[in-house]
Amino acid sequence: MLSLAIWLQQTGLMRALRESDRGYEILLSLHVSFIALFGATIAMSNLRLLGVAPRGYPVADIVDQLRVPKRIGFLCVATCGFLLFGMKAEEYYLNVFFRIKVLLFLTVAAHALIFRPPVYNRLSESAADSPLPARAKLAAGFSLVVWFGIVCAGRGIGYIHPPPFSHHF
Amino acid sequence: MAENLLNSSPWTFPILEVTHIVSFAIAIGTVALVDFRLLGLAMLRQTPGRLTKDTGVWTVVGLSTAIFSGLLMYSTDPDKFYLNVSFLFKIACLLVAILFHYTVHRRVALSDSPGSRGKLAACVSIALWVAVVFGGIFIEFVKEGLSFS
Repeated sequence: MLSLAIWLQQTGLMRALRESDRGYEILLSLHVSFIALFGATIAMSNLRLLGVAPRGYPVADIVDQLRVPKRIGFLCVATCGFLLFGMKAEEYYLNVFFRIKVLLFLTVAAHALIFRPPVYNRLSESAADSPLPARAKLAAGFSLVVWFGIVCAGRGIGYIHPPPFSHHF
Repeated sequence: MAENLLNSSPWTFPILEVTHIVSFAIAIGTVALVDFRLLGLAMLRQTPGRLTKDTGVWTVVGLSTAIFSGLLMYSTDPDKFYLNVSFLFKIACLLVAILFHYTVHRRVALSDSPGSRGKLAACVSIALWVAVVFGGIFIEFVKEGLSFS
């Protein structure tokens, strides 16, 4: 895995980004901007499932309408994130918070596999004002906790300073 | 000089940062939902006015928490921030963004047919909030500050 990380950061694109004047800062700013613009799509879907907000809307209305923006947002955030990783792949690979973040993303994937068919894909079948099953609330709460963990781990990455641009440059 | 209690634990700043990130994501994200609606990209089953009213409280809560946590972070090392060009840029953009949001943006979103004015307001809104984020991130990377000497 380490050799893969080293290969990635030595590809032409990653090298060019790394050697650019403000490439890292600009990508990081874009990464966080996309989180700011699209993060609420995840929060609002799950908060609605939990019955917190916004209550005036049917659950399916919120979750269905936010599905596409949520996916576009994820694609934007993830693209920037991948480039940020690729620029310093070796450093990131060794960073414990980055590893935690990857594990949490795997948890998000597991969450989707487990909860999408029985919860998220069946919301339109339930009546607008009927109480949601407990598993829907469990799915929403779990999702919020994992995404919060991803934010924490993401910020944590910056707190670990290995030797800058470590061994293979 | 009194020591700032926030500096007594290494955990304080990271906790404040995460609080700041989550709260500005809620604030900007709820504004962005209205912007996407004004642009005709999402939440088309609701009117922009209805969305503005229903997400307003979340915007206020997110914004207040982001500003409060930001002030606490600022207090841990004011010298680092107040002459930092990027920080000053961020604060300027933040003030304009808030002013714009609660005046022009709100009026357009609540109007019966926002149309192209709505699209323009949405683009300005997104640009302003993204500028705030860029300003915030660049604080760490812009070392040159203003000098009055």
